[in-house]
Amino acid sequence: MHIFLMLLINGLAEGALIFLMAAGLSIILGLLGVVNFTHGVLFIWGGYVSIWIFSMTGSFPIAIIAAVAAGFIMGLIFERLFIRPVYGNVTAQILITLGLGVVFTDMARLFWGPNPIPASRPEFMDGTWVIGAVIISQYRIFLIIIGILVAIAINYLVNRTKVGMVMRAGIQSPDMVQALGINIKVYFAGVFAGGAALAALGGALYVPLVGSVWSGMGINNQILAFIVIILGGMGSFYGSAVGSIIIGLTVAFVSWFYPPLTVYTTVLLLLLVLTLKPEGLFGMAVRN
Amino acid sequence: MPMLTNILRKKPALGPGMWLFLGLFAVLILIIPHITGLTTTTLLSRIYILAIFGMSYDILRGYTGIINLGHALFFGGGTYIAGIMFSRMGATLDILLLAVLVSMVFAAIVAYIMGQFAFRGSGFTGVIACAMITLAFGEIGRHSAETLREYTQGADGLTFRVPLMFQDRVMMYYYALLFLIAMTLILRQFVNSPTGRVLQAIRDNDQRAKFLGYDTKKYKLIALVIAGMASAAAGIMFALLTRFANTELLTVQSTLNALLYTIVGGTGTLYGAIFGTAFVQLAQNYLLELRGIHEIFSRWLLFFGAIYVLVVLYMPKGLVGTYLQLEEKWRKRKIAA
Amino acid sequence: MNPLLKLDNVSSFIGPFHILQGVSLEVYPGEAVVILGRNGAGKTTTLRTIIGLVPASGGKIILDNVDLTAMPPYNTVRQGIGFVPEDYGIFDALTVEENLLIAMLQEDQETLDRRDHVLELFTDLKESYKRFASTLSGGQRQMLSIARALVNDNKIILIDEPSKGLAPIIVEKVRDTLLTFKQKKTIVLVEQNFEMACAVGDRFYIIAEGQTVLDGTMKELMDDEELQRKHLGFVTA
Repeated sequence: MHIFLMLLINGLAEGALIFLMAAGLSIILGLLGVVNFTHGVLFIWGGYVSIWIFSMTGSFPIAIIAAVAAGFIMGLIFERLFIRPVYGNVTAQILITLGLGVVFTDMARLFWGPNPIPASRPEFMDGTWVIGAVIISQYRIFLIIIGILVAIAINYLVNRTKVGMVMRAGIQSPDMVQALGINIKVYFAGVFAGGAALAALGGALYVPLVGSVWSGMGINNQILAFIVIILGGMGSFYGSAVGSIIIGLTVAFVSWFYPPLTVYTTVLLLLLVLTLKPEGLFGMAVRN
Repeated sequence: MPMLTNILRKKPALGPGMWLFLGLFAVLILIIPHITGLTTTTLLSRIYILAIFGMSYDILRGYTGIINLGHALFFGGGTYIAGIMFSRMGATLDILLLAVLVSMVFAAIVAYIMGQFAFRGSGFTGVIACAMITLAFGEIGRHSAETLREYTQGADGLTFRVPLMFQDRVMMYYYALLFLIAMTLILRQFVNSPTGRVLQAIRDNDQRAKFLGYDTKKYKLIALVIAGMASAAAGIMFALLTRFANTELLTVQSTLNALLYTIVGGTGTLYGAIFGTAFVQLAQNYLLELRGIHEIFSRWLLFFGAIYVLVVLYMPKGLVGTYLQLEEKWRKRKIAA
Repeated sequence: MNPLLKLDNVSSFIGPFHILQGVSLEVYPGEAVVILGRNGAGKTTTLRTIIGLVPASGGKIILDNVDLTAMPPYNTVRQGIGFVPEDYGIFDALTVEENLLIAMLQEDQETLDRRDHVLELFTDLKESYKRFASTLSGGQRQMLSIARALVNDNKIILIDEPSKGLAPIIVEKVRDTLLTFKQKKTIVLVEQNFEMACAVGDRFYIIAEGQTVLDGTMKELMDDEELQRKHLGFVTA
């Protein structure tokens, strides 16, 4: 029983991290119609920037904020220079964002070296709680709370604000939004940068969990996030939340019992959903 | 240069100058191993083999309009199958034939299964799902090679011996050249066949091809199986050349290499992959030589990615495609004048 | 009197296709101008080019002395244009209230008053005010789309085929609505339904192959069967 509880918490924490990636990817896909393969590299940069700033300031909150800011700025630059010329051209988007991924992964190696850099958890969260036979890592609980807070914040943004209104309308028809006097490109840039910032946040929070940062950590998480958004239904925010939890729990449980099977299981899950429910668990919110 | 244009357009109108040029070129290609060192010979062999990897991608991207992010699975699969069989069962010609057979069957089956899932959707979401599913398949391949240490030596890479007749670098050069010519003819036959024409119709307009009554999924599957097999064949040749396999061959980066060969050369031209591969490989070699001048030149991937992004953004037709386009423009201007 | 809206030899492309090849028209304050023509002649593209959704590649578009030619759509609309597109352009994932809210360029008292007034006009919308627009019928969507064009103090309203795809009884309702606010607004109407065009329009332009080929008063067109046959391919009884 205590193993089950521990794995549940591990899984939810993992799910929270995947969600930070998947939420941004999904909204970018839904609103901008852009497949973004730079998410993995933003995740890496979030990780590197956070430990870099942490080593200089010694402050965990400042490190996190710096990572988020770096992600946001990179997002703005990517959107302006590379994404904007290829709106509406999926193939070019895939190719360009993959290329950017290669460039910025290598740039991270150039700045911070090819070897993994060890990172430590902030002291105030390195502790554990022991309840009976169950040992609970405080950092994982912290991750779960962050995940929930981000989900609530996005939900509020989408359903209760003017920005969210434009986003929901823009998913259906960006042209019509423009024809109502709204410059949707500003929203596009903001959403892209916001998604990028979330990915960087994910990277910054992932590093203390696994204890080091290395340039190869992006691709695996990006693939998990992609699996999540196909699983949940492309462009569906709720789908990405539920999908993240499913994948997080799957990863936690399978990797506890037999780690080598983890990748196969997640992909198998994806193929199963595609076979049984091709539009994803929550239906697609993407215009064709 | 109308004659170059004619060759590239696949309807050569051969004048006497043309024959002379082609003849000299052919002689040069044939005697190169005897007038240069082993480094150049091996580099050229490498280009010939990788060009087929690139060309196999052109069948997908250029002729059918498919983005396959797990294409490395076939190439790397071919190399690994050959490597594992040589190291376990001996480096003989019989085993090579068996390896060819096994990897063709492997490529066909994997391509079929991959396509069954990847080509389910259509339109915008179909393209995305296809990219993500093929990416996931590719990762399964890489992951398998990393975890099945007993067979693959994991991340250390697998070193193996090859049959005697492939150990001579100069002979290997001619085998690679022969392979390039043979595969180019086969693939050209394929893209010009009725099936190949349907593929191009699908690339130009998936929906319309469907309305015309073509089972587009079936044709995409055919394209993927053919491309997968061609790629696996190149993988085996690569094994014979390098006598080494590592998980790099199975990464997304490896797939992107093939993609870069075709887009630099020009997608939908088949021959473009040869130019593209030569350009990329020579550029990589040249940059590595500059390493002594500044450390930045050892960051090949930085240049790789930059070239890649710039080509997609500003030269979507690649070297060959852009040349043909410019030539067309000049011709029109000449007619107008 | 100066025209409120003036198109001078406007041309535009959609992708590689040269759709508008010289559209010229003038709309005076207070009148209702109907744009007629066969399918694919460029009527819808004319409206979309005025808005800027299709960029004009040549010519001039002037609204009330403001040059709209090179303006992006979100700015042209702010110069005082209400747009009711062919497919209504209603956002399914927004409530009826939000569909009106997103269209409001300002949230001052005047705009809110106008919105309340519009809602009095369309009682259906008032009833389903808090519901998602995905639950609306075609006729209700058309009403909401028209309502959306009326919440701002627009100088001119562009309406694309308001009768298309609607049941005859709904079409009558739409026609009555147009007739009501025709008193106060300048209208450009693209319409295939000749009855609707005759009921609402004061003047007409005929577009053929991307060019304005003929204009006159609606009455002239109604009386001239030869003209109808030639340009519209049908005759009214």
